[in-house]
Amino acid sequence: MPDWQTLVRRRLDGLALEPHERAQVIEELAAHLDDTFEGLRRRGLTVEDAAQRCLGEVKDWRDLRRKIQTARTKENIMTNRVKQFWLPSLLTLLLSMGLLALIQIFGPNPWMVARHSGGSLVAPVTVVYIPWLLALPLIGAMGAYLSNRAGGSQRAVFSSIVFPVLPYLVFFLAVLPMIAILNDRVAHNIMLAPLFVGLFAWVLAPGGALLAGGLLLQLFYARRLTSRRVVSN
Amino acid sequence: MIGTGIKRGTAELAVLSVLEDSPLHGYEVARRIEQQTKGALRFTLAALYPMLYRMEQRRWIRGSWETSDAGRRRRRYRLTPAGKKMLSPLRQEWSELFQALRRLKKVAHA
Repeated sequence: MPDWQTLVRRRLDGLALEPHERAQVIEELAAHLDDTFEGLRRRGLTVEDAAQRCLGEVKDWRDLRRKIQTARTKENIMTNRVKQFWLPSLLTLLLSMGLLALIQIFGPNPWMVARHSGGSLVAPVTVVYIPWLLALPLIGAMGAYLSNRAGGSQRAVFSSIVFPVLPYLVFFLAVLPMIAILNDRVAHNIMLAPLFVGLFAWVLAPGGALLAGGLLLQLFYARRLTSRRVVSN
Repeated sequence: MIGTGIKRGTAELAVLSVLEDSPLHGYEVARRIEQQTKGALRFTLAALYPMLYRMEQRRWIRGSWETSDAGRRRRRYRLTPAGKKMLSPLRQEWSELFQALRRLKKVAHA
C-alpha cells in the first residue's frame, strides 16, 4: 500500500498553516486516501489500479493547497487578499521605486560620467536606469515568493510581480489614445516617439525584468514540485 | 448527470443532511452521499475537504479526532446547533427551487 502520509505531505508542501494544524490536515487527507484505497481493493481492483484511482481524487494539488489554506485560515477573505496580493504588490512597488530613488541620490553623479563619456543623454541611462533594471528581477522574484508563500493563485502571483509597472501602464493606455485623438486639434505638435520610448522604458523593459525574476522563481517551484511528485510516485 | 453548478449549490445541503443522521468522517460523508444519491453526487477528496473546513469555520459542523478499535485515527464531523439551524432554510430554498422547476415543466407541457 502506498505511503499516503508521505505523499500528501510532499504534495501539500508549503501549506501555510500552523504546524499542528498542517499535520492534522495531512493526517486526515492521508486517512481518506487510505480508506478509498481499501474500498477499491475490496471491490476487486489491483493495487496499481486502486492507487491510480486514489491519485485521481486530486487533479491539482496546488489548487487544493490554496483552497484548504483559504478555508482553514481564521481570518476572512479580505485578509487573504492582503497577504496574497496587496502586501507583495506594495512591497515590490516600494522597493522598485525606492531603489530607483536610492540610485539617483547615492549612485555615481551623471555629470561626472557624462564629462568622461561625452554623452550627456547616455550617461544617466547607464548609471541610473540600467543598474535599476538589472536589480528588478530580484524584486520580481521577491513578489512572487511572498505571494506564493501566502498561497496566492497564479493570477495573484503574476499581479504581484508586475505591480510596479501597472500605474505606468494605465497612464500610457489612457494617454496614448487621447493624444492620438487630440493631436490634430491642438496648436503644437505632440511628439509621439518619446511617449513610445517612455512606454518601453517604464512599462515594457521593467515589466520584462520583473517577470524574468518572478517567473524564474515560479519555474523553480514548479520543477521542485514535479521532482517531488516523481520521487513520491 | 447533474451539472457542476447545481452540484456546487447542493453540496452543502448534502453534507449537512447526511451529518444530521449521524456523525461521520470525511470518507464516510462522501460514500454516504454517493450511495444515497445513487451516484448522482460524488465528492472527490479535492472537492470535499475544502468544503468541510469552510463549514467548520462557519461553525456549522465540528470535527474531532477519534481512534477506532483497530487503532486508526479518523476525524469525525458532527452537526452543530448552528448547522441544524442552517439546514432548515437551505432545505426550504431547494424545495422551492424544485417546485418552481416542476411548475415550469407543467407549463412547458401544457
